[in-house]
Amino acid sequence: MTDNAQRTTPISTGQQTVLGRSVVLKGELSGNEDLLIEGQFEGTINVKDHTLTVGPQGQVKSEIHARQVVIHGSVDGKVSARDKIEIRKTGNVVGDLVSAGVAIEDGAYFKGSIEILREGKQEAPRAAAAAAARD
Amino acid sequence: MRIAAQSAVANGATLKSNGLEWLWQHLRDVPRPRLLDCGPARRATVEVLLRRGSTLHVADLISPVERGDPELWDRARKAPVFRTEVLLAQIPPIPAASLSAIFCWQLLDLLPRDALAAVVLHLYLYLEPNGVLFCLLRDPHLATGVEPHWWLESLATMGRDDEGTKPFPHPALTNREMEGLIPTGSVKTFLTRSGWREFLAIK
Repeated sequence: MTDNAQRTTPISTGQQTVLGRSVVLKGELSGNEDLLIEGQFEGTINVKDHTLTVGPQGQVKSEIHARQVVIHGSVDGKVSARDKIEIRKTGNVVGDLVSAGVAIEDGAYFKGSIEILREGKQEAPRAAAAAAARD
Repeated sequence: MRIAAQSAVANGATLKSNGLEWLWQHLRDVPRPRLLDCGPARRATVEVLLRRGSTLHVADLISPVERGDPELWDRARKAPVFRTEVLLAQIPPIPAASLSAIFCWQLLDLLPRDALAAVVLHLYLYLEPNGVLFCLLRDPHLATGVEPHWWLESLATMGRDDEGTKPFPHPALTNREMEGLIPTGSVKTFLTRSGWREFLAIK
């Protein structure tokens, strides 16, 4: 992980790095383990093969790339996740989501766009459109 | 205007919607519709629309109006003036003429009359040719029920919160008034037994 703004060191707990509540970071974060943000972060996050969790107190203003993103706190920015993005009921997200799956719990706040990543070609949506027309 | 009478049947908090059936039939050749939901993000609605292959924009215009957020009103003048531009600023950047449909839900019923034309025109500009503005309008006899929100249970079924007790702030919109607000295209109205009309404007 890199931090080009402050000398704060995130805590690594084996498979997960935690940015604690009192931590305020600006810069670029990248890594090969899961990441939990409970503090404030502004910049770019890249944990492409891992899960990013933004805790209930977490505030992230960032472009995010991850395998999976779970948001309990606040996120402002574009979020890309290969597998899934989950916004839990305490989550507050303003930005664009791009992922293979998106789930937003009732009660969460979301403003922005959602685009689903699809493997393969147009058959699935065409079939869905045809099924919808038949219903 | 064409009226399809008694087109939806109330079943508890769930409504089978002929208006939505018509909408998806209308969009049957659009494999990846681009949609705007003007209500609060709901899990079911997001799932249903994404399963349909949509790219979805979400901008909750309804909750701030329903709550009467102070920033939506200019109270410096003798009579409060609704700040339409503040409401519309909630919409994220969307290219003009790019949307296949906009789910307005009951938004128009909550807005003051003098804000309606600007809001409808603004939303209309996002619609591509043949795009559809989907609205729910209450019947005049329905005096209360501002609070409940609507969502999609399936492509052609709507869910709704329990009945609300808060009175509507403005008189019910008539079909003729709505037709006057639509800049171009045609409209369809579907009556329901729930006290709500489904109003679809096709650009």
